[in-house]
Amino acid sequence: MSVVLGIETSCDETAASVVDSNFHVISSVIESSIDQHRAFGGVVPELAGRAHVATIGPVVERALKDAGLDPHNPAIDAIAVTSGPGLIGSLLVGLSAAKGFSLAWGVPFVGVNHLEGHLFAPLLEKSDLEWPLMTLLVSGGHSMIVLQSGPGEHVVLGETIDDAAGEAYDKVARWLGLGYPGGPEIDKLAQTGTPGKLKLPVSMTGEGYDLSFSGLKTAVVRATEKNADVPLADVAASFQAAVAEQLLRKLRTALEKNEVKGVALAGGVAANSALRAGITQLASEFGIVAHLPTMQMCTDNAAMIAAAGVHRISHNGPSPLTLSASPNWQLVDVK
Amino acid sequence: MNILAIETATEGCATGLRTASGLEIIKLVDENRQHTEELTVGIQALLREAGLKASDINRVVVDHGPGLFTGLRVGIATAIALAQGIGAEIVGVSSLELLAHGAHDAGVRGTLVCAVDGRRGEVFVQTFTLDEGVSPKDEPRVEVPRTVVIEWATMAVPVTFTGDGVERYLSDFSAVPGAVIHHEKVPSIHAALTLGAMRTPTATITPLYLREADAIANFTTRERAK
Ligand SMILES: [Zn+2]
Repeated sequence: MSVVLGIETSCDETAASVVDSNFHVISSVIESSIDQHRAFGGVVPELAGRAHVATIGPVVERALKDAGLDPHNPAIDAIAVTSGPGLIGSLLVGLSAAKGFSLAWGVPFVGVNHLEGHLFAPLLEKSDLEWPLMTLLVSGGHSMIVLQSGPGEHVVLGETIDDAAGEAYDKVARWLGLGYPGGPEIDKLAQTGTPGKLKLPVSMTGEGYDLSFSGLKTAVVRATEKNADVPLADVAASFQAAVAEQLLRKLRTALEKNEVKGVALAGGVAANSALRAGITQLASEFGIVAHLPTMQMCTDNAAMIAAAGVHRISHNGPSPLTLSASPNWQLVDVK
Repeated sequence: MNILAIETATEGCATGLRTASGLEIIKLVDENRQHTEELTVGIQALLREAGLKASDINRVVVDHGPGLFTGLRVGIATAIALAQGIGAEIVGVSSLELLAHGAHDAGVRGTLVCAVDGRRGEVFVQTFTLDEGVSPKDEPRVEVPRTVVIEWATMAVPVTFTGDGVERYLSDFSAVPGAVIHHEKVPSIHAALTLGAMRTPTATITPLYLREADAIANFTTRERAK
């Protein structure tokens, strides 16, 4: 059995984690610079990059110490680091640190795709899960439906053609004068509102699995301008229901056309209560297992990067020290 | 003491190694290559050439800026990880003082203005006096090149300019009456090794950005405009 140190710095979280090859999380540390970005209603790349430089050393040291390892000579077999997709200035901090540690300890390192990392999250909570698995990956930067036939074997059935679901939440929250990030704010408000009070169009009703959220955001803006008297809670509930409906409808089609053993939710938006409820219901309808990760596994973390690293290093071998960051690395290009 | 120096504040990327036995090796990387691709490989090559292991390094010296933000972060993150990973000491030196010491080593004397290209029409500048030693005359700051040029043209005193910020705005700096240009783009890695050996190590390295993150600047302007 081998032990891998994971490092994640693709957006605003600086994270490090030690995971073994049985996908057992030995330690996991996450520092977020989100408070610095709140006032701007979105992650400011330069601020995120600066925060990573300040926290990367202490975060890795804490992850090693929490795992009972000597920070100067840790008994690890490899380092896995997110090398894309993400903010270039942020990715480079984690990648540079990973190379520095790799050189210091004489252990190999591997660049991991952040999205593939998310796909490994369910394994960290249930290492004996049954394949194939249909995964709905929704976050601030990505929205896609992925068919996984095994660890590291995935086919992207469809993805957003414009905004990510999380991005739409942020934009609508900003429009409504709510805080950032928009997901939790809208979700909380939606609990007290009635969905359907605001008439919103249903997007992407056609064939295929591609998603779209940009039109929905525009529709919320138009509808609230026209019906200024609709309570905010009802707007939030209507928007949330429309997002969930689109995602769950596509997911349902995917489950009808592909025989799987389970359905999983991954990415930051997986904390959303409407989606969690919808997936639980879908799973029971299809008689399959629902994998709903805990909050810590939904949001960006380094344990999932280490887990994907365990797989990548044994299948593809280590990365060269000359590896660059790939800010636009698509999941379909991961092999 | 085996000292490793890392310089990534400018478009050039340089690393150097000075061993306890007095051997000094310096590697300058082609400026068209990315720092992130070349830096660790460069360090590995230095160690191999000197017959050392990474864990033999006792101290890591890094250029902490001012300079190109992304380059700085690549160098500093690498230095922090390397030093922390092997339990070595870490020391930060500034790009401007490395330019000044480099010029001093090359025989420049008198008043020297070092300018590092900060992109977006600005340079990071600092003035030094070079006699037997090198002493700063002011604090490093960010300026529009023309402001610096006018300042020195008005004073009409002998001055030498150096750095990639000077090379970028060469016609402006050359126009200062009586000015001498010391052509050097890369902060001296030899100086980094020498200064780094003398300085007191710190717990960590804080980059010297000298310019706020974009969003803050824009946000402040927006707030004021309201
Ligand atoms: Zn993510």
